[in-house]
This record gives sequence, structure tokens and C-alpha cells, in this order.
Amino acid sequence: MEGLFFNIHSGYVEGIVRGYRNSLLTSSNYSNLTQCETLEDLKLQLTPSYGEQLSNVASPFPTSTIAAKATEKLVQDFRYLRAQATGALAKFMDFLTYSYMIDNVALLITGTLHERDTKDLLERCHPLGFFEGLPALCVASNIEELYSIVLVETPLAPFFKDNLRSADLDELNIEIVRNTLYKSYLEAFHEFCTTDPELSGTATAELMSEIIGFEADRRAINITLNSFGTELSKSDRKKLYPEIGKLHPEGTLMLSRADDPEAVRLAIEIVGEYRSFFDQGGIGQGGGGIGGGTQKSLEDVFYQKEMELAKGTFTHHFTFAVVYAWLKLQEQEIRNITWIAECIAQNQKDRIGNYISVF
Amino acid sequence: MSGAGNREAVFPTRQSLGIMKAKLKGAETGHSLLKRKSEALTKRFREITRRIDEAKRKMGRVMQIAAFSLAEVTYATGGQIGYQVQESVKAARFRIRSKQENVSGVQLPAFESYITEENNDFGLTGLGRGGQQVQKCRDVYGKAVETLVELASLQTAFVILDDVIKVVNRRVAAIEHVIIPRTENTIKYINSELDELDREEFYRLKKVKNNKKKALDEAEAELAKLREEQGEQLTITGSDEPADILADEEEKDVIF
Repeated sequence: MEGLFFNIHSGYVEGIVRGYRNSLLTSSNYSNLTQCETLEDLKLQLTPSYGEQLSNVASPFPTSTIAAKATEKLVQDFRYLRAQATGALAKFMDFLTYSYMIDNVALLITGTLHERDTKDLLERCHPLGFFEGLPALCVASNIEELYSIVLVETPLAPFFKDNLRSADLDELNIEIVRNTLYKSYLEAFHEFCTTDPELSGTATAELMSEIIGFEADRRAINITLNSFGTELSKSDRKKLYPEIGKLHPEGTLMLSRADDPEAVRLAIEIVGEYRSFFDQGGIGQGGGGIGGGTQKSLEDVFYQKEMELAKGTFTHHFTFAVVYAWLKLQEQEIRNITWIAECIAQNQKDRIGNYISVF
Repeated sequence: MSGAGNREAVFPTRQSLGIMKAKLKGAETGHSLLKRKSEALTKRFREITRRIDEAKRKMGRVMQIAAFSLAEVTYATGGQIGYQVQESVKAARFRIRSKQENVSGVQLPAFESYITEENNDFGLTGLGRGGQQVQKCRDVYGKAVETLVELASLQTAFVILDDVIKVVNRRVAAIEHVIIPRTENTIKYINSELDELDREEFYRLKKVKNNKKKALDEAEAELAKLREEQGEQLTITGSDEPADILADEEEKDVIF
């Protein structure tokens, strides 16, 4: 039934997104990229997708330029979509930008805490997370001011309001602040997708709740693994786990008690899908160790899974989830390109195949 | 031979000869000591050169791995973490101790690196994702810096040793080619002067002796002549006038 009226508002955007999806690099594109000997060749190979952005790049360029230019394209496309979106889709896309906003605000908080000139930091902010109130945050000279400005000016106010006090920004590690916000954001996004009158009961709600749930689980597992050996206490750690996803509540409870990777493995074994992850990814061996060619890290496995979910989204019609999926796919593509470019630049051909190709 | 020019300005006396001889002996001892020092330093120098070569090759490898691990971090975190890492660092985790090493009298600074394990300022970076890569990257870069420190310590030693070896070699050469020949020349000069003096002295003495002899001879001749005259006079007076017995006490004793 929802398909009947979907195209009135969102049909165009969905069409565009599907078009974008088709322009994503395919496996054969990637294998061409990996054959490149120099960054010049790489640039040539990327011309069909990124020709417009890369054409003006002067010849000896660092790998970061490619990433920057690719991000530029992503942002451009996203802004176009956002301009076309109305109603619930507009809100949905705003939600997508919130995660970048969290990163940007965290960056500014770091700057303010250390009394740096935060105006320089604006350039480092992710353009997708840029919002009108962001430059206003630079005015704040101390953390209380910053906190009140965040509450007034930014769309992130609800995440801040419920979880953090102004004193927390000062006392807590910025990563904890960031992850608290992110947890709150994921929960809010999940709630929006499942309860919004326009979205509840649609394919969007179904798909997004799976994707967000996965994202939440991934964060919970990552936080657990990364917090071993740090000053993060178990109770603090528990507060950072989003209260959604397949692991919640039993899995997260077990995760919060975990002391070593083995306990994490036990915790996530209750979810069938995740059981195999640990077998695939060497835990605690992020990146597979130096020169360890083919072994995948847990992060890689997660990325792979995320991409599969995103790919699966495109099999559904009349859903906003494709926008999310496209964004993630495009991001992964940028990461892949950067990785390949780095491998070429640093002459590390044996690990060049470590990218995740989706199509 | 620059025998005349290349010598020290000394008076050719026996005392300065003694001094010069002592000096020559000192110079020779010093020369052999310095030569040995130079050899020891050169040996060390060669060893350091070899180790620098090794360290540089190692650095190349390690830096490559390090740069690549940074690429891994970029891949895993998908963003810029540089600023956050910069800002969250409060105290140095990687520190350097400097100590002195004595190689045949030359003080070589040696840097020793150590890691303060408890200092883990950005341990939570990448908590959401990529944290393991960040930590790994840090460890790899830690190793890279370690190699750099090792290299720096070797390079410093290299420069210092190079200087010292140059100075020592210059000294050795100076002693060998300037001081020893000059002292030898001086000794030769003093000897020749002394011999010359000896000869002069001998000649002078001979001359004096001759003169004395001559004078003696003349005096004797005079005396003989005088006696002769006196004898004649005696005979004259004896014949002319009666001998005044009281007047001349010097009359020959009458021997009975």
C-alpha cells in the first residue's frame, strides 16, 4: 500500500539514488585500479566516476587529495538529494548527517578544551556534518558556553540534553563523550524509523531497524574490544552500549562483563550471524599484523557485513533506506580508493586486495 | 736539507741540548700514543659507519611499515584522527636518556630510548571503530622512532668521531713531520755548534800555548843574553877596579 503514494514525494530521490548506485565502482573497476602502477594511472581509471573532481588536480598529488576529491563528490551528491527531499525523507536525511555532526562537535569540543583557535578546526570538519550553527560554536571560549550554544544552536541538542552535563565535557574523555552521543543518536534514529507515522510499518522501518541494529552491535563490540587495557571502567563501558540491536539486552550485558576477547566471543555467540565473525577475523590483530596478507580483521568483517546489508537494501522498493545504503556504499568506495591509492603510493602491492568490493 | 732554517731558536748550549733531547723523546712517545689512539678511533669509526648503514636500511623498512599502518588507520577509522590524537596527548610516552660513552678519551653521547608504559594518553581514540589499528599504528611508529633515535645517536657519534680523528691525525702528522724533524735538526745544530766551539777552543788553547811558549823562549833568550852581558861586565869590572867586597853581596860564593 505504501508504494502507492511513495513516488509522489520521494520517487525522484529514489530514482536518483539508484542511478548513483549504478555509478559505484564494480569489482572489475577495482581490479583495474589495483593494476595501476602510479597514482596517475589511478586517476585515469577513476575518470568515469570522479573525472569532474579530479580533472583539475595537478600532477604530483598526495593520496589524501583523491580521498578529499571523492568526498567532495559524495557531499555534492548528498546535498543535491537533500535539496530534493521533503517530509519524512528530509528528516531521515538530516538524521544521516547527525553522525557527522557528532564528530564535528566532538572535534570542536577538543579544540575548546585545549584552548585552540577553533576557527581553524572548521576546515577539518566533515562537510556532511556542517550545519549553520557550527561556526557559532567557535565563538565559545569555555566549555560551559560551548555546552549552552550546542543546546541552542545545534540539532544535536536532544542527544546532549539527556546524557551529558556541561561538566562532563570537561571531565570525560572526548571519546566517551563522542560515543555517548553516538549511542543516543543511534537510539533516536532507530526510534524515528520505527515510530514515525510516515515510516512505521514500511519497508524503511524494517530495513533501517536491521541496519541500525547492526551498527549498534558493531559499536558495542568494538567499544568492548578497544577498551581492554584502557582506563574505561566496565560500568562506564556499559553506558556506551546502544540499547538496541540484536545483542541487546543479554549480549550487551555479557559484553559489559567481558575482560578479554574470548568473553566477547562468548557474548556475541548468542546471535547466530555474528558467531562466524570471530572465526573470520583475527581478534586483537587489527589489520592482520604487518605484512599478514590475506587475514581479515574483525573491522573488515564488519565493513563487509555492512556493505552486504547496504547492498541488500537495493532489492527493496519504495524505501528511504536506499539513501542510507548509498551513502555507506559511497563512503566505503572512498575508503577503498584511498586504500588502493596508499598501497600504490607506498608500493605495498601485496595487500592491495584488502578492499571490500560490493558489486 | 733545511738544516739551518727549520730549527728552534735556542742557544747552542749543553743545557738546551739536554732539553731538546728530552723533547725529542717526549715527541716520539706522544707520536706512538697518538698513533695508537687514532687507530682505535678509526676502528670504532668503521664500526659506527657499518652500524649507520644497517640502521638506515632498517629505518627505511620500519618507516615504510609505519606509514602503511597509518594508511590502515585511515582506512579503519575512515576519517582524520590526527587532531584528536595531537590534542589528547599530555606527556611524552617515548623518552630519551642521554649518556656518555668513552672511546679512547673521546666522549661520545649515546641516546637510549625508553617507553613509559603507563602513559597512554589517547588509549581511547577510535573507541567506536579502528581503535586496534590506532594502537597498532602507535606501536609501529614507536618502533620507528626507536630506530630514528638509534640512528641519531650513531650519527652524532659519527660526526664527533670524524672530528676527533681528523684532529688526532693532524697531530700525528704534525709530530711526525714537523716537531720530530725540527727537534732533530735543533739537536744536530746544537751538536755542530758545540763541536765548532770545541774546535775553536782547542785552536785557541793551542794558540795560547804557542804564544806562551814563544814568550817563554824569548824570555829565556833575553836572560841568556843578559847573563852573557853580565859575565862580560864581571870580567871587565874585575880587571878595572878593586872589588868592593862590601858593596856587592851578590858576589859569587866562594866555594872552598
